[in-house]
Amino acid sequence: MSKATAWESTEVRGPKLAFSLTPENCGRMLKRAKRLLIVVGGGALDMKSDGLDVPDFTVTLAKTLNGTIAISPGVYKAYQKYSNVKIINIGLEDLVNRLKESDWNGFDDGGAYDMVVFIGGLYYFQSMMLSTLKHFAPKVKTISIDRFYHPNAEFSLENLSIEKWREGLDSIIKILKVK
Amino acid sequence: MLNIQNQYKGNITLSTKISIKELDSTFAKIKGLDIFVGKIVDSEGEWIEPMGPTPYPDITALRNWDLRLLSRYPSFYSPLSDFCEFCTYGKCDLTAGKRGACGIDMEAHMGKWSLLQCVMGAACHVTHARHIIEFLIKKYGKDKPIDLGSEVGIEAPIIRLVAGIKPKKLGDLEEVLTYLEGQVSQLLSATGTGQEQDPNDYESKALHAGMIDLVALEAADIAQISALEMPKGNADAPLIQIGMGVVDKTKPVILCIGHNVAPGSEVINYLEDKGEYGSVEVAGICCTAHDLVRYSKSAKIVGPISRQLMFVRSGISDVMIVDQECVRADIIDEARKLGTRIIASSDQLCGGLPDLTKNDTEDIVRIMVSNETPAVLIRDPVKVGEVAVRVAIEVAPKRKADKGLKNAEILAFTSKCTLCEDCTTNCPIDLDIGKAVNQAKNNNLEPLRKIFAECIGCVRCDSACPQDIPVLSTINAASSEDIKNETFTIRAGRGPIRDTEIRNVGRPIVMGEIPGVIAFAGCSNYPGGNEDLAKMADEFAKRQYIVVASGCSASDIARYRDENGQTIYEKHHGHFDAGGVINTGSCVSNAHSIGAVIKIANIFAKRNLRGNFEEISDYILNRIGAVAIVWGSQHQKALAIATGANRLGIPVILGPQGVKHRRAYLGKREDDERWTVLNARNGKKVYGGPAPEHLLYVVETIEEAMVTAARLVMRSNDTPKGRMIKLSNYVNLHRQLYGCFPDDIQRFVRSESDLPVTIKNEILADIKQKGWKPIEIPDPTLLDRMVLMRE
Repeated sequence: MSKATAWESTEVRGPKLAFSLTPENCGRMLKRAKRLLIVVGGGALDMKSDGLDVPDFTVTLAKTLNGTIAISPGVYKAYQKYSNVKIINIGLEDLVNRLKESDWNGFDDGGAYDMVVFIGGLYYFQSMMLSTLKHFAPKVKTISIDRFYHPNAEFSLENLSIEKWREGLDSIIKILKVK
Repeated sequence: MLNIQNQYKGNITLSTKISIKELDSTFAKIKGLDIFVGKIVDSEGEWIEPMGPTPYPDITALRNWDLRLLSRYPSFYSPLSDFCEFCTYGKCDLTAGKRGACGIDMEAHMGKWSLLQCVMGAACHVTHARHIIEFLIKKYGKDKPIDLGSEVGIEAPIIRLVAGIKPKKLGDLEEVLTYLEGQVSQLLSATGTGQEQDPNDYESKALHAGMIDLVALEAADIAQISALEMPKGNADAPLIQIGMGVVDKTKPVILCIGHNVAPGSEVINYLEDKGEYGSVEVAGICCTAHDLVRYSKSAKIVGPISRQLMFVRSGISDVMIVDQECVRADIIDEARKLGTRIIASSDQLCGGLPDLTKNDTEDIVRIMVSNETPAVLIRDPVKVGEVAVRVAIEVAPKRKADKGLKNAEILAFTSKCTLCEDCTTNCPIDLDIGKAVNQAKNNNLEPLRKIFAECIGCVRCDSACPQDIPVLSTINAASSEDIKNETFTIRAGRGPIRDTEIRNVGRPIVMGEIPGVIAFAGCSNYPGGNEDLAKMADEFAKRQYIVVASGCSASDIARYRDENGQTIYEKHHGHFDAGGVINTGSCVSNAHSIGAVIKIANIFAKRNLRGNFEEISDYILNRIGAVAIVWGSQHQKALAIATGANRLGIPVILGPQGVKHRRAYLGKREDDERWTVLNARNGKKVYGGPAPEHLLYVVETIEEAMVTAARLVMRSNDTPKGRMIKLSNYVNLHRQLYGCFPDDIQRFVRSESDLPVTIKNEILADIKQKGWKPIEIPDPTLLDRMVLMRE
């Protein structure tokens, strides 16, 4: 038996908590995405110290699934070197303010995103953005693939060690690349 | 014939006029007699401005203006909990559209929270204003003139604007206080179950609470500046010592914490009267510290709220005086453990201590010195002054051994660390404390020193530690050299912006030639230390913005030296002019940053202030490029001030911790309909651009804060030259910090003459590709009544 708990110990929310996902299940879920949005938060570059290059990882993820990456402005500079990937520079609050509108058609006017993956946000900040979506846009499917469990997402990885998390993210990409 | 008539100002009855036209009785023969009971107001006097439409506005008087703002900048909510816990029907789950037992949904519940936070903030400042003004009236009399110096003719721009009065003496502020207290009560009432229910109406009331807060700030500060002879707009106010290392622990030390300067100023008075000033250290933390050094340049500032427990745990203070606001709830217990004697001095914070206000001073000193009663409540600032000094002088020699952290002893606790990381997961800003403590076991203190630089001093790590390691103290012990060397300089709070300064900069600000006024405010719960704040302020000053700071922000921008070893106040001038960095003073001195913006509308644009809130706010929103950055935002007061600024049309950027206030006011740049303004010249509806795009916006990073500020200073009314300068800064910062060209620049270019010369072709090529077409620059207003002529 295991109990998924928030990384920040005071993030005790309410009756609706994120379903915890294994990386493998997460990969299988993402594979079904038709219009994927990957949201990269302002703490993404700090994850380098955990051995993860978030820009590299998210660009691979986006290219694999033909997704779009919405990047917190403070991190955007690190994405300048990539090509052939759809990247958008937008603050998280600005982004969530659009995601929560049921008639928003996405950055390319191609319709609503069916899955929104979060990674790299400041934990407390990302938690609040997920809370906005949980309450005011419950149809938006949110998935956190950070190292820490996010109760306000609809689905979230559990709290993982650095090694397990890196291995998990690798296994997500492997699953996605299987035809 | 007898006629009785009340004389009102807004909703306040000032006097009753009893007129007897003619009376012929056995008692007397009277003709044409007027008797006034109460206060007689000479409505003309020397102030010839006509009264505007909303003097002393009640809680719905400005509702239309609020709803206009909220239609452009709707509330954006981030719930911190899924429940409502306000009544005994609950708790109720409001997740994803559910309603509570009273019928409320999450959006309205969030509106209620927003209002509640703003009322709490406003109530703190109103009470503070009440306390300091009553004290000053008692000491100096009701007729003590309000005098902010010969160059400050508009002494109270916010009070003139909101209340419609021109306060001439301390006694005039009493009716303002009565008004404020009435409004706070009404606003609080609206949060009760079964009262207000619409999110926008909650927000309208929150905006009202914010405005009430601003009036209270101004009332408190102009009273203390006038009565205590604090600096009156001096650009060259003295440079003061600030930092954990500035206090001389070989002397008796009195530490003042909080916001009300009265007890601390009485400490200084008593020392001066006895000829002892200089032999006793008087230092402060938080806003009391600012006001102490405005009162006496020999006082010292330890630092902002984040340094409160760190310094108290050093045991250096012989006597600690706490007054009101921003005082930690554990500070009395913490100080008591170290033998520091404690005096609580406010009705607002009795601290569970025995009330000795009426006791004989000799007795109080005796029981405090003997440690029979080491902590007391004295609600009389004059008595506090005497007791604090006498106790400090007597106990200091006996406490020499208690002063300073026992570094080795404290660091030995780290051997108990099991790396469970409970401290890390309890840190509100996610500092990696656990690993740092664990590495200290092996004498590697560097990680703890790094934590010290960023720590907000909340001490949740201590509470979380299952091994009872005093984590905060280990951080301090590892950083003892840093603490010793923590000495900086800050220019003492100068108070108001002088009318003469406004005359010089009003035009270039409105025209946009000075790219903007950036006001730093708020608390010290930053995401990564105060250095970021100092760097932001420095960058904007270098770019010729006017930088204004108050309260903990003003302290924190001082606590950093650049590569040349200079603090920001040593580096930049203190005039309200391009490139200046101004410390207005304490939290209540935020009134002057906002007051300066109001004065621009009055002095430069000749708009009447008196009871004329909507028109002035409309002017500010559309014409004055002022933005506030609240990089740390712990207290409800910070949200109240920000919300008050928002009602006046001043956008505010919150740092990431501000997201926990749960509410923002966001526009959408692509929603062209929302950016329509009326052209006052002909009454036509025209596109004014998303300028400013948001009223209250929370950012994640320093990069985002800076670029957003450069964008939010743009206003519909900017001249081509002004817009060119603003765009130049926006594009430049965008490139520098984001590494690319802005993708929304077409929304800010009205004509080719707006374009910065050096990048004109580049921008033009980009925006033409996006279908850009030139538009006229309007004379913008959101108010129908401001249209001069209709076509």
